[in-house]
Amino acid sequence: MDIQDEGGRANGADRTCNKETIASCFDEESGLLDRRIFADQEIYDQEMRNIFARAWNFMCHESQIPNVGDYFINHIGEDQVIVVRDKQGEVQVLLNTCRHRGNALCRAEEGNVKSFVCSYHGWNYDLNGDLIGVPGITPYYRKDFDKSTLGLVKAAQVDNLHGFYFATLDADAPSLHDYLGEVGRIGLGMMATNGEVAIVDGIQKNVIDCNWKIAVDNLYDWYHVQYSHASAGIAGFMDIAAILHPQNQMIMMGDYGHAISGPAIPEDMQAAIDAMSDEERKAIADESFVDGEAPRLLPRLKVARELLGPVGVRSMGHPNIFPNLWVATNGTQLSLRLPRGPYKTEIWWFTFLPKDMPEDKRKRAIAFNSHLFGPAGMLEQDDGENWSQSTRASRGVKARTFPHHVAMGLGHDEVQTDAASGQSRVETTISEHAQRWHYKSWTDWMLADSWVDLKANHTPAPKGRV
Amino acid sequence: MPQAQEASAVDTGLSRLSLQQRLELQFEIEQFFYVEAALLDAREYRAWLDLWTQDCSYWMPIRRTVALADIDREFTKRGDMSFYDDDKKMLAMRIAKMESGSSWSEDPPSRSRHFVSNVRIVSIEGDETSVELAFALYRSRLNDDESIWVGRRVDRLRRVGGDLKLCDREIYLDQTLISATNMSTLF
Repeated sequence: MDIQDEGGRANGADRTCNKETIASCFDEESGLLDRRIFADQEIYDQEMRNIFARAWNFMCHESQIPNVGDYFINHIGEDQVIVVRDKQGEVQVLLNTCRHRGNALCRAEEGNVKSFVCSYHGWNYDLNGDLIGVPGITPYYRKDFDKSTLGLVKAAQVDNLHGFYFATLDADAPSLHDYLGEVGRIGLGMMATNGEVAIVDGIQKNVIDCNWKIAVDNLYDWYHVQYSHASAGIAGFMDIAAILHPQNQMIMMGDYGHAISGPAIPEDMQAAIDAMSDEERKAIADESFVDGEAPRLLPRLKVARELLGPVGVRSMGHPNIFPNLWVATNGTQLSLRLPRGPYKTEIWWFTFLPKDMPEDKRKRAIAFNSHLFGPAGMLEQDDGENWSQSTRASRGVKARTFPHHVAMGLGHDEVQTDAASGQSRVETTISEHAQRWHYKSWTDWMLADSWVDLKANHTPAPKGRV
Repeated sequence: MPQAQEASAVDTGLSRLSLQQRLELQFEIEQFFYVEAALLDAREYRAWLDLWTQDCSYWMPIRRTVALADIDREFTKRGDMSFYDDDKKMLAMRIAKMESGSSWSEDPPSRSRHFVSNVRIVSIEGDETSVELAFALYRSRLNDDESIWVGRRVDRLRRVGGDLKLCDREIYLDQTLISATNMSTLF
């Protein structure tokens, strides 16, 4: 079951779990979810191989590395990678480990370099990963050394959509376009509906003692908002009841586990928005960035209809690009949930705003985003503790024999397809459809022996009754 | 007293004070910080908020690991992303959240201990005094969740009537990746 690298050695940790175990974890008929998936090291190790080493993982936005030699450190599962702009202006994704004795080439989180020099013995790599300098080739290696075979390990594929770069370690992975599919492209497209954007300096990073999946599936969860985040409403930070739109929820589900879940603009309201100029839409949207005011169902600019389609443009929900990238805060933030063992997750928050945003509006948007999420955020303060306590309970011998109940709305809704565009969605009340789709797709990934297997045998996006 | 500061070409305002005046000011400011720390540790958040001016600012930038050559990028700047960028209204909302009865990150409440040391008066301008200090904040949550945040603070105190009030606080943490589930306490 292990992916083999060219040298024939097992890739990643060795512990595997059998297919019967994986297949029994999520029961789509009942919506019951075995807690072992939040606790077992064997399952975690297999996630690193079968999900993260295969998937397209978010790396960074082009505005984070505009110049030759600019780099940003990110992760693909437990593999640390350098995302760098090389001398040709291309973005390279390289494993951050020297081919000699494995030391990390970059220790900073970001920066600019002319080349990557290892601090251990001075091996020197070009920005594209080629090994260009090795001290002592003549006196010590006696010229018995072939630099061409010892370049940094490169991601198998690197590509971007709207300037957001992704990489996969698997040469057999489909193109980024096909991987995202329509739902993934709509999700990421929400980052492009505000015009041309650039990073706002500063990525909030903290560690939560929780399993990465509980942090991911929470982003679909509009049920917890009214209770987990009640205090933000009482404090006057945000009108929690007004952001929920519990009866106007839309769920879009796509192949390989991408989904979008949350409030939707009703069709008649969208028709009224369609009649507005971009100036009128901007005036309404700009007001939403004021602290203490409820973010409304926001009118997006006209370009959004082309990017998102007639159904997608109505979604005000939260997309997840499988496995772990949350498109958040009205298309101004991305959040990565980076696994660090079964019981730890790093949460990273990136903020992107339009380059042409007027200074006063930019200031308000940054204040709003700073105060909302992150470890001191008025909402996220409370999430972390729920997730860590839930993860902790998954370790109890007795507790783990009782599965999580993820059955809300199961069997009560219908996937509808827009005839003209072919876009499908469920329109319903608050539900757990997207969470179930996440775990159904997770099962597919974990059972597949390879991308060839996954492409052929993954569960297609749901149709009909869900 | 640090001679380097005395010799500085910049007028820090300190040279206009006699040694006696400086000792009294140092004592007053240190006592102010001890009272402030005691209020936070006793969860007297409303009394703590009263120590701040109406136009106050409370800011914690994001710190990151950077190479020496990029050390000017170690902290985010004002106007970039941050962990805290609060005015008095925002601080009041944080307190109202803690008092709400449904602020799960602080109910059960954390136990905290605020330490301040290395207090240095760095400048006096008009009715405002700037102070740099080292802080340590220990937080214990639930049964076994412990956080220790250590760093440098730059505070500005303003004389309002006879009292000192805080009008600006910059909090520079000594850790980059925040190794805590949340930062629901006040620094």
